[in-house]
Amino acid sequence: MTSDYKRFALTRAGQAVVVVLLAYVLTFLVISVLPGDAITNTLRDPQHGLSEEDIQRIVAFYGLDQPVIVQLLLSLGRFLTGELGFSLQSNLPVSRIVGDALPSTLTLATSALVIAVVFAVVIAYGAQYLPGKWAAIVRSIPSFFLSVPNFVIGLVLIEFFAFRLHSFTTTDPNSPVATLFAAITLAIPVSAPLAEVLIASLDHESRQEYALVARSRGLTEATLFAKHLVKPSALPSVAMVALIVGELLGGSVITETIFGRDGIGTVVQKAVTGEDQPVLQAVVSLSAVVFVAVNLVADLASPLLDPRVKLREKVAA
Amino acid sequence: MTATLGYPQLRNVGTASKRLTAGLPPITVILSFAVVLLVILWSLVPWLFTSYSPVTGDTASKLAAPSAQHWFGTDYLGRDQFARVVYGTASSVTSALVAVLIGLVIGSLIGLASGFRGGWLDSVLGRFVDVLLAIPGFLLAVVIVSSLGFQTINAAIATGVSAVAVFARLMRAEVMRVRSATYVEASYLEGGNRLHALLGHILPNAYRSVLVLAVLQFGTSILIIASLAFLGYGDPPPASDWGLLVASGKTYVTAPWLVYAPALVIVGTVLSVNRISRWLRKAK
Repeated sequence: MTSDYKRFALTRAGQAVVVVLLAYVLTFLVISVLPGDAITNTLRDPQHGLSEEDIQRIVAFYGLDQPVIVQLLLSLGRFLTGELGFSLQSNLPVSRIVGDALPSTLTLATSALVIAVVFAVVIAYGAQYLPGKWAAIVRSIPSFFLSVPNFVIGLVLIEFFAFRLHSFTTTDPNSPVATLFAAITLAIPVSAPLAEVLIASLDHESRQEYALVARSRGLTEATLFAKHLVKPSALPSVAMVALIVGELLGGSVITETIFGRDGIGTVVQKAVTGEDQPVLQAVVSLSAVVFVAVNLVADLASPLLDPRVKLREKVAA
Repeated sequence: MTATLGYPQLRNVGTASKRLTAGLPPITVILSFAVVLLVILWSLVPWLFTSYSPVTGDTASKLAAPSAQHWFGTDYLGRDQFARVVYGTASSVTSALVAVLIGLVIGSLIGLASGFRGGWLDSVLGRFVDVLLAIPGFLLAVVIVSSLGFQTINAAIATGVSAVAVFARLMRAEVMRVRSATYVEASYLEGGNRLHALLGHILPNAYRSVLVLAVLQFGTSILIIASLAFLGYGDPPPASDWGLLVASGKTYVTAPWLVYAPALVIVGTVLSVNRISRWLRKAK
């Protein structure tokens, strides 16, 4: 078992590294395939006020006078040594831009994750234990959540809570209350698939014989839910963690824009409008790193959480 | 054998006959089809639904609240918001359709090749799909559209590319499932070749799950394209994609209908599409 697990872990880790590197290459190709030479266009923009020397230095740094494949290798080499290059808009190191924006997005994403889990558990509990008609309504909530665009949720929350009820102001987007509403905006689409998985899993578990035995022992439904049903239903949700992280990262672009927060999403948006390729490349490949790492942890953890998960199948899949 | 013949299959017979006697799909599904039909008509023949122009307005009646004349109110140039929504349908919905087609065709081809050929091709394509999945879908779409240029058609292409991976995964799984089925082996024994197995057995079996995913993906694509338009990555005004309408409406705090009307149209459409997808999945 242990040597099996070790081999499984090493194989998965190796695959993860390969996927990250290929994601970097894919992003690079997509960004640099663009028609026109965006980097030099931006650099030669007179508003930029760069001297000819500066331009030459930057051109040499990115290898812009050389073929795409050389640029790719240079760029990949820098990425591997942790060097992310410089922003074309502000000339600041990309690592600093990302580092400055990261805490805000982390706060937002973590709060959103917690809220999403709470929403999902409440919905799943309601779907299981509310009387017939109400349960049916609760069961349709996830598909409703999935049909509302992120930006609409955000605008509605701002309209009601900021403009009508004055719970927070959009001029101070980092206040706790504003952060809470931004997190709710981001959490709603994330909670939907989570709730669907939990509902399906709870339906399955509560029909099992052990649940029947527990009921016959006189456990109330609430105790049964808390003590017996939550844990086995949590396992399939762990498998969704990577998906959720992707949703949180993608959704932060919209949410941060609406609420005026300065985070990774705003960095992406500015990089897109300013054709700031190094920043875009860095943020996208770093999100791939996060996504792959979370996926890897979930994969490595699942055989430990549930001994029934077969290692070989996981390696093959 | 007797065990498998028992309860579950009897239950299947029960639901099948119930379905036959029930005849019509549930009322919510019929409503959903009506909504989708209306949206399709809006995109094909918008002029039948409104007499107002989507581009020129009467500035004297700007930012008017919804009324009998202007169902969704008017915007800052006095343009009828309902007309803007109706005329914006074509690009909002067509682009989602384009996105689904791209994801469906490319993804299915990858999945088919992967599952059918197996071996090294499967490994290579499998890693490619892993890589596509590793970049969060919306970010991938944003990067592609920024690389291709800010146009609605490019937003559609970007959304389609980010959907390739899910279609490839599903198609591969379907091929693997059917490929090893006894009746496919039997068709080989009878002298059928691979092409015959593909056209005669694998595709007809896979089509139902792929259809369900395609419908679901249509709803998702409407949302993604609306989000891209909202960020300003689609056609610029005076185009009136639904997401763009919400974005330009949010500047006018005193005229919330400019946001709510297109937002409700988006939600209604996607909700209907998702309901149809769920019905198709269950009816399987």
